[in-house]
Amino acid sequence: MTSFLKTAAMTALVAAAPLLAAGQAAAEGERYVLVSHAPDSDSWWNTIRNALALAGEQMGVEVEYRNPPTGDIADMARIIEQATASGPDGIITTLADFDVLSGPIRAAVDSGVDVIIMNSGTPEQAAEVGALMYVGQPEYDAGLAAGQRAARDGVTSFLCVNHVISNPVVAERCQGFADGLGVDLGDSMIDSGTDPSEIQNRVLAYLNANPDTDAILTLGPTSADPTILALESNGMAGDIYFGTFDLGDNIVEAIRDGVIEWGIDQQPFLQAYLPVVVLTNYHRYGVLPGNNINSGPGFITADGLELVEEFAGEFR
Amino acid sequence: MATGHAPIVEMKNIEKHFGSVIALNGVTVEVYPGECHCLLGDNGAGKSTFIKTMSGVHKPTRGEIFFEGKPMQFDDPRDAIAAGIATVYQDLAMIPLMSVSRNFFMGNEPLRRIGPIKLFDHEHANRVTMDEMKKMGINLRGPDQAVGTLSGGERQTVAIARAVHFGAKVLILDEPTSALGVRQTANVLATVDKVRKKGIAVVFITHNVRHAMAVGDRFTVLNRGTTLGTAQRGQITPEELQDMMAGGQELVALEGSLGGTV
Amino acid sequence: MSDTATGDERVKEMSGFRKALIRPELGGIVGTVAVFTFFLLFAADSGMFNAQGIMNWSTVSAQFMIIAVGACMLMIAGEFDLSVGSMIGFAGMSIAIFSVTLGWPVWIAILTTFALCISIGALNGYIVIKTGLPSFIVTLAALFILRGFTIFFPQTIERRTIIGGIDDAAEGDWLAPFFGGEIGQPIFVWLADLGLIDVFERGNRAGEPVIDGIPMLIVWAIALVIFGHIVLTRTRFGNWIFAAGGDAQAARYVGVPVNRVKILMFMFTAFCATVFATCQVMEFGSAGADRGVLKEFEAIIAVVIGGALLTGGYGSVVGAALGALIFGVVQQGLFFAGVESSLFRVFLGVILLFAVILNTYIRRIITGER
Repeated sequence: MTSFLKTAAMTALVAAAPLLAAGQAAAEGERYVLVSHAPDSDSWWNTIRNALALAGEQMGVEVEYRNPPTGDIADMARIIEQATASGPDGIITTLADFDVLSGPIRAAVDSGVDVIIMNSGTPEQAAEVGALMYVGQPEYDAGLAAGQRAARDGVTSFLCVNHVISNPVVAERCQGFADGLGVDLGDSMIDSGTDPSEIQNRVLAYLNANPDTDAILTLGPTSADPTILALESNGMAGDIYFGTFDLGDNIVEAIRDGVIEWGIDQQPFLQAYLPVVVLTNYHRYGVLPGNNINSGPGFITADGLELVEEFAGEFR
Repeated sequence: MATGHAPIVEMKNIEKHFGSVIALNGVTVEVYPGECHCLLGDNGAGKSTFIKTMSGVHKPTRGEIFFEGKPMQFDDPRDAIAAGIATVYQDLAMIPLMSVSRNFFMGNEPLRRIGPIKLFDHEHANRVTMDEMKKMGINLRGPDQAVGTLSGGERQTVAIARAVHFGAKVLILDEPTSALGVRQTANVLATVDKVRKKGIAVVFITHNVRHAMAVGDRFTVLNRGTTLGTAQRGQITPEELQDMMAGGQELVALEGSLGGTV
Repeated sequence: MSDTATGDERVKEMSGFRKALIRPELGGIVGTVAVFTFFLLFAADSGMFNAQGIMNWSTVSAQFMIIAVGACMLMIAGEFDLSVGSMIGFAGMSIAIFSVTLGWPVWIAILTTFALCISIGALNGYIVIKTGLPSFIVTLAALFILRGFTIFFPQTIERRTIIGGIDDAAEGDWLAPFFGGEIGQPIFVWLADLGLIDVFERGNRAGEPVIDGIPMLIVWAIALVIFGHIVLTRTRFGNWIFAAGGDAQAARYVGVPVNRVKILMFMFTAFCATVFATCQVMEFGSAGADRGVLKEFEAIIAVVIGGALLTGGYGSVVGAALGALIFGVVQQGLFFAGVESSLFRVFLGVILLFAVILNTYIRRIITGER
């Protein structure tokens, strides 16, 4: 009973805290809003939220995280418009779909809000909408680098497990990987959906149908975790060449166990942290780096996993 | 008694088969204007199949229907309604969530033209509904009162008033009293009497002999898909009707112990 | 007989309060007042009620309204359509493929898409009527089928799931502005001159008002609400809609063409979804395979908040519109009030629960159930 009361009290506190926090912080410091395209279910963005909160704390500014609950980019456009209307000092946003988001972002820039593009999009697109800079990992280049690395390791065919088929920018990773290998993408990319057991079964089905597949590329923990399980269940774990984008607890463990060869870390921490730092210093002292910032790619292999392990899912 | 003039509906040797099941096996009934013709029968005797045939829901497999002396083919209930045969079903007469006036005009909405647009004439509908309800002895709080707040007997009465208002020449009542209490039953039977006096033919379906005897002019008993004959008022006793409905004499033995209450 | 004419002494006169309660819009009106009071108290100086803020939640509410009108009338007719969200994605993609990939003039692409989607709505209705299956199941199937095609076609034809460039294709088209355009620009310029709304500070639009007009999306929403309200309450067909949902069999017995009414309502719902999709595609210039996910539930929630009964036969378009307004204002307003965005669903759930409980209570009053 007491534990129930405690839980109830905690819940009430948690529910009230954002209201209180907003009320206090509005009085002082700059206010920055980060708008992502990720649905609520995407756990990878937790790192972004933590880094954002940390940056806010360290710089003494107010930060907010917003996302479309279902991942609908059209809803995201409304959120950006809304963020603009609330008059923040800066907006940090992804550019997941240029057609949809460029209008609202440009309107934000034109109404005097400074914008930094992070994560999705390209440096060129960021410049076109009038953003200060782009912080992220050029997706195609990251895929290409990974493909070239795999080619050196003797890979000639692959399966790309795409859990965000609707995001064309992420699909660029698969295209880059194919180009790096020097093969045609063809039917190597599957739309896996986001449900873990569906992903697991689709991977199994693909490997059954195409037993001579050399390598698997997953595009994030959402697709990597079930793929690890799939490989463990059909006995191909450690046997097949397995690379992944992004990190998470299970991925780190799989790298240590030798199931995954390497993980490409785009270092989301930097994508959320740096824009806050850059914007704050720009607004306080007028200083601005003269270029875009590539937060990745960094290849993570079994060597040097300690820090990654310690902060996986939190800051890494 | 209205035997002096021609029957408004004549159904001759009606048979209705559903696959291998013979629901009606040669039913002959004549209904005259201004009479209350009671159709009696136990459950499964074919009463509801018969009225659905008369009201155009079913087409007879064999046999002929004459309406005002002419052979009649009803393709669906709308044809029957258009011809003047209205049916009031026991529990499907009214829609509880809708207002009395919307129910009253359901399917016959009065229209008012505004330029090219035809609108539901609520004013007319409300006025007529209040008038008709008053005539039938139902006091409404207002025309927008939901039917759900009316009693079962009042709902039947509204449905009957509706059929009469829209020019029914033949009114088929499907077990209108079976779910009602004593006082509500009396109200409905009184309504039937009023309707009959307007010269409308009433076909009253029931398995309750006492209700039938209260208002009926003639009585037809259905048993196992066939008619067991038609009797005039005064030519038959309730006990005889009861026995015919039961299909024989087996109830006689029970009669004593039940004290004539069935 | 005459004794009942005096009325049943056991039926108490209904109090004015209870009378007001059985108006389906009441919940919506109370909710709207409550929601605006709440946000005026907690988010008044957050930008929620400046020109941009108002336009923001108005636009979002208008989106909900467009699909809520269709869902409301269908629900009153006694059916559901779970394929609304998929239909939005499908219709948008259809316009994109016809106009961009196949290069048809945009107006032909739009009209063809309307014809296509309304036919699919009719097919939904036809299957529901002919099989007698619950519309829940039939349209659930449509939800998956349409979403599947929405991903399959662009992927097969264009090897991507977002097709852009529609705004270029729509340049100079006569029909596109009816969905993606804006009206009343001079008013906003005038308001900006008066200093009542802000102007852009920089960029090539510097000096222009931040709101350059009322989007056609809002115009469509208002038009559909008025149209739906008149049809439902002031026409013969509206009476048939109530009758079809209240008790289909009873309605059939008095000659209401229930099947036709229901199929037409499925078609109207599809029409509304297509209006939503067309406005969205014309505004953003691109169609994506994941557009409209879960919108069917948002529509149904708005309708239920607006006082319609899930079982059909009772409800109001104005109520549904207020439900959509509440939904939109809460969704956007929580942001302005600085509430953590994940709590939005908690608020939504609570509002929905209250609305449903209130509706059940109302139904008991109407039907006299105890």
